Amino acid sequence: MAKLNRMDWYDLARTTNWTPKYVKESELFPPELSGDMGIPMSVWETYDEPYKQTYPEYVKIQREKDSAAYSVKAALQRSKMLENADPGWISVLKEHYGAIARAEYAAASAEARMARFAKAPGQRNMATLGMLDEIRHGQIQLYFPHEYVAKDRQFDWAFKAYDTNEWAAIAARHMFDNMMNARDAVGIGLMLTFAFETGFTNMQFLGLAADAAEAGDWTFSSLISSVQTDESRHAQIGGPLVPILISQGKKEAAQRMIDISFWRSWKLFSVLTGPIMDYYTPLAHRKQSFKEFMQEWIVGQFERAILDLGLDRPWYWDKFLEELDYQHHGMHLGVWFWRPTVWWNPAAGVSPQEREWLEEKYPGWNDTWGKCWDVIIDNLLAGKRELTLPETLPIVCNTCQLPINATPGDVWKVRDFQLEHKGRLYHFCSEGCKWCFEQEADRYGRHLSVVDRFLAGMIQPMSLEGALKYMNLAPGEMGDDAHGYAWLEAYRKKLVEKSAA
Amino acid sequence: MSAIPLVSNFQGDFVLQLIVVEPGFTMDQVAEAAAYHSVGRRVASRPGNAMRVRRQGSETFFPRNMTVAESHLQPMQCVEVMWEPEKN
Repeated sequence: MAKLNRMDWYDLARTTNWTPKYVKESELFPPELSGDMGIPMSVWETYDEPYKQTYPEYVKIQREKDSAAYSVKAALQRSKMLENADPGWISVLKEHYGAIARAEYAAASAEARMARFAKAPGQRNMATLGMLDEIRHGQIQLYFPHEYVAKDRQFDWAFKAYDTNEWAAIAARHMFDNMMNARDAVGIGLMLTFAFETGFTNMQFLGLAADAAEAGDWTFSSLISSVQTDESRHAQIGGPLVPILISQGKKEAAQRMIDISFWRSWKLFSVLTGPIMDYYTPLAHRKQSFKEFMQEWIVGQFERAILDLGLDRPWYWDKFLEELDYQHHGMHLGVWFWRPTVWWNPAAGVSPQEREWLEEKYPGWNDTWGKCWDVIIDNLLAGKRELTLPETLPIVCNTCQLPINATPGDVWKVRDFQLEHKGRLYHFCSEGCKWCFEQEADRYGRHLSVVDRFLAGMIQPMSLEGALKYMNLAPGEMGDDAHGYAWLEAYRKKLVEKSAA
Repeated sequence: MSAIPLVSNFQGDFVLQLIVVEPGFTMDQVAEAAAYHSVGRRVASRPGNAMRVRRQGSETFFPRNMTVAESHLQPMQCVEVMWEPEKN
């Protein structure tokens, strides 16, 4: 018997609704889980996913992908990548795995919620495959770093990070809980798959895979490329929801969810991806600056996507574009200065050569950020390393949980965006984060940032030692300069030449 | 009376930091508390300059000998600490 072509039976196979007779539709699909906004089932059934795949195809292709990725890893088992790669690259791996591995697994739960509670059959179908993708991503991104755990304790944070009160882990959990773990099926589609995945990570993984290849880390490069191929499929789950919502008079609700998620995603990117691209990746391997990458792959693409779907540019778009010039520089300086509080070793990335590159890509860098680094460099050259380490907490934003920072020096753009809500004073890094909070104040209101916790006496003793203990950072795990301050030699030479002249 | 936490925004620095002051501290002492975490760490010192304190959003500095209690600064309000050339 001749087989039907896949496209002849696909639509039928995924039309899986029936009219319930023994229970109410609202019992099968509780609104707080489906997020249906009262839109009729017949309208949800018009949802059409652009990237289609059947289960037999999925199994076949995923098996091939896993074979390829695991083969590369096995083949390179004896390579001395860890010993030979630039320490800045090793820090990229540690930061990535710690921030991402458990989030991938959590995303499997979010996809599962869509698989069960989305009213659109197509969304349920693709989310079933998406759930399997994220289980794969969680497992593979725990398995791959595991081979390094015996050699370097910081790799243990690939698993451990999300169980700790380390501040970056809190920031990541806060964002992911808000965007996917504590959302309904429509919210997850818009905030996780559309805003975060098509907006950011799909492109970021491509860039990261290319950087890995440059760094000679073929195991990681093939892993990340492989993960990204899954992403480019399940990231498309959210897009088709938008025309449905707009046609049913729910444009404002869709816009708000996407605007919130995009802004939150941007902030997390500024602290995780920005420093990686402009400071940790060895200079010779940098293909694009973070700002160039964002403009080419994210700004233009996302803008086109939302306008094509019938939405508007987010209200904060101009502010977001402004932040591309400076936010990640501050996140980097903050992470480096507060380096004992992270689970990787930040690369300073401010050798004279690197500063020339930074000045070229960000005119004015030396007159602003460079001025802060000058003081740090002077202290290190004078043997006063203790002055390059923190003795207090930065104030963190009550939305993104990241240090409130901006351009220093004569420009000095730092500002505390405050809000008093139900008798409590909140602090924000930006209008964007303050707006996110105001949209759903009850949702965020009871959360305590690390600074709130410190002031409430939850961190004891009330010292750096107490903070490190609270953050579950043990000796051997706390970050220090990735290159052991070896980059200072160029400055020391300059000093010697100056005094000789 | 117990210590008061404030948000320090030191001129020329890049980040807001937590400082803790006593109600009896003068503004000069508040400025010193803020400077400890910024000057000589990420901000170059400026000899011949005093450090003045103002509430974020205000255009006027608190008098140097005013105390925290007298200023009515509330916990976790943001103070800007700025250089001012010393009058000779």
